[in-house]
Amino acid sequence: MRDILNLGFKLLLITAVAALALGVVNAITREPIKAQIEKMDAQGRIAVFSEDTEFIELDADKIKAMSADYAMVSQAFQAKEGGQVSGYAIKTMPSGYGGAIELTVGISTDGTLTGIYVGNNSETPGLGAKASEPKFKDQFKGKKVDTPLEVIKSGQANDNQVQAISGATITSRAVTEGVNTAMKLYSEVLSNDNDVQQLLVREGGQ
Amino acid sequence: MDAGRLFYIVVSGVLVNNFIMSRFLGICPFLGVSKRVETALSMGIAVTFVMGMASVVTYVVQYALLEPLGLEYLQTIAYILVIATLVQFVEMVIQKTSPTLYQALGIYLPLITTNCAVLGVTLLNMQYQYNLLESLVNGIAGALGFTLAIVLFAAIREQMDFAPIPESMKGFPIALVSAGLMSLAFLGFQGLVK
Amino acid sequence: MKGVIKDFINGLWNENPIFRLVVGMCPTLAVTTNAINGVAMGLAASFVLVGSNAMISAMRNFISPKIRMPAFVVVIASFVTIVGMVMKAFLPELDRALGIFIPLIVVNCIIMARAEAFASKQPVVNSIADGLGMGLGFTLALVILGSIREILGNGSIFGINLFGASYEPALLLIMPPGAFMALGLLIGLINYLTRKPKDNEEKEGSH
Repeated sequence: MRDILNLGFKLLLITAVAALALGVVNAITREPIKAQIEKMDAQGRIAVFSEDTEFIELDADKIKAMSADYAMVSQAFQAKEGGQVSGYAIKTMPSGYGGAIELTVGISTDGTLTGIYVGNNSETPGLGAKASEPKFKDQFKGKKVDTPLEVIKSGQANDNQVQAISGATITSRAVTEGVNTAMKLYSEVLSNDNDVQQLLVREGGQ
Repeated sequence: MDAGRLFYIVVSGVLVNNFIMSRFLGICPFLGVSKRVETALSMGIAVTFVMGMASVVTYVVQYALLEPLGLEYLQTIAYILVIATLVQFVEMVIQKTSPTLYQALGIYLPLITTNCAVLGVTLLNMQYQYNLLESLVNGIAGALGFTLAIVLFAAIREQMDFAPIPESMKGFPIALVSAGLMSLAFLGFQGLVK
Repeated sequence: MKGVIKDFINGLWNENPIFRLVVGMCPTLAVTTNAINGVAMGLAASFVLVGSNAMISAMRNFISPKIRMPAFVVVIASFVTIVGMVMKAFLPELDRALGIFIPLIVVNCIIMARAEAFASKQPVVNSIADGLGMGLGFTLALVILGSIREILGNGSIFGINLFGASYEPALLLIMPPGAFMALGLLIGLINYLTRKPKDNEEKEGSH
């Protein structure tokens, strides 16, 4: 009996010290981790618009509730430059080869893509991870939102096509699917000012 | 929740994103316990058992304990303790209820604690934000994929005993190269599900 | 002092965890798609190895054999959690590249094996030397494998392009099959280069 108590006490002591140490490290790293995550999110929006853009968050839960087509939308922002609405930054999470890809799509109010930003992803380095390189992602810039984009493996891409990353068709398709979702969201919802008013988190909240 | 999503998880776990062949989880037992088909199969069954249970228990621990208390940062430590306890518990139960099964699986059970496939699947369940049912399905599908790979591999290695292999390549080197060829075959499943 | 150096060198080469003992395979195969990931993974594991070895060695008379396993697991998992938090806070890109293989350091056979076989029996200084040697040996192996796969599979090293745009990389090397094959051939090559003429008996390690 005494033996068991003794062993139990020792284990308890080790666990307590471990928990204390982890608590301390957690207290130190909590804020930097939070800041990193926010920085990552903001980085995507800034990349598709600019440093000076003001972003106003839209209610992503309401967007998801509208249609199953928008299930992969995780965040949406209205972008304002100098007080004027200049476009929308939409974050989607299409599933690629190694899990969800965090993809931010910028759409300007004239109905063209301002660019895409491929953030956090677990795609294979050297293959799918090349989605974040200019050679692939810059193809989306300037595309019109009215026709969905297609992925082609070879040949010359026309106005509504993009070249796949070689060896990573799944990733290329996933990114394109995310972009198409964002374009659909823009043409069917966000291009309509009344709908947007409903989505503004502060003003439109019921 | 729909059946399609569950089916997707199964196909993905068993074939497309096979734990050993494409995720590299559980390589130690894959190389260590794959000399004979029979032992490989026993190991696979034991792992399936533990991975299914671990998926459910860690789900409960995560959402009933760690998150309400704001202790998400203790995830790793909590999961590994859950798994170690679970393995011990399974060992005791099997020993009491079925001595035959215990004889077949007994020696593999302690090894499962340090099998990264088990801790790996529980972490992936959380990363993909699976619900309870999806976690369970993912755990079992992943384990079945593990079993499939290890049994096939054992069958190859049994044949290898008769092959003239250069001295330097004997043992692990040739095993790794064969595993690479197998993995190449598994690449063919890529694109089977989106 | 001589003993300490010997313990250090031992892990670095003679008993190199990857090339000689063939343990800790999961992260080795998974993260070595490029050299930088190899360095990061190796250093993260080294930190855990040195920390847990030192701690377990310091407590070796306090931890009775009966509670040895749970105690080791708690110590190792604590160090792993610390590495994870620090990386998330200050090196988020590497943290994402390594993904779940950071928490999975907990079940890396090398660390538990060193705790059990070395640190629980030896003085603190020797245990630190052993942890450092094993950790750097692991890192060395990861960097070699990562470099080979990155050079052949992506035409670059540490992210620097080597051959220019005309080089058509052997993509297979950075895909999963390439990991298995490259490591298998590499261990085979090391066996071949270091074989002793008389001592032909290959010892097959276990994990």
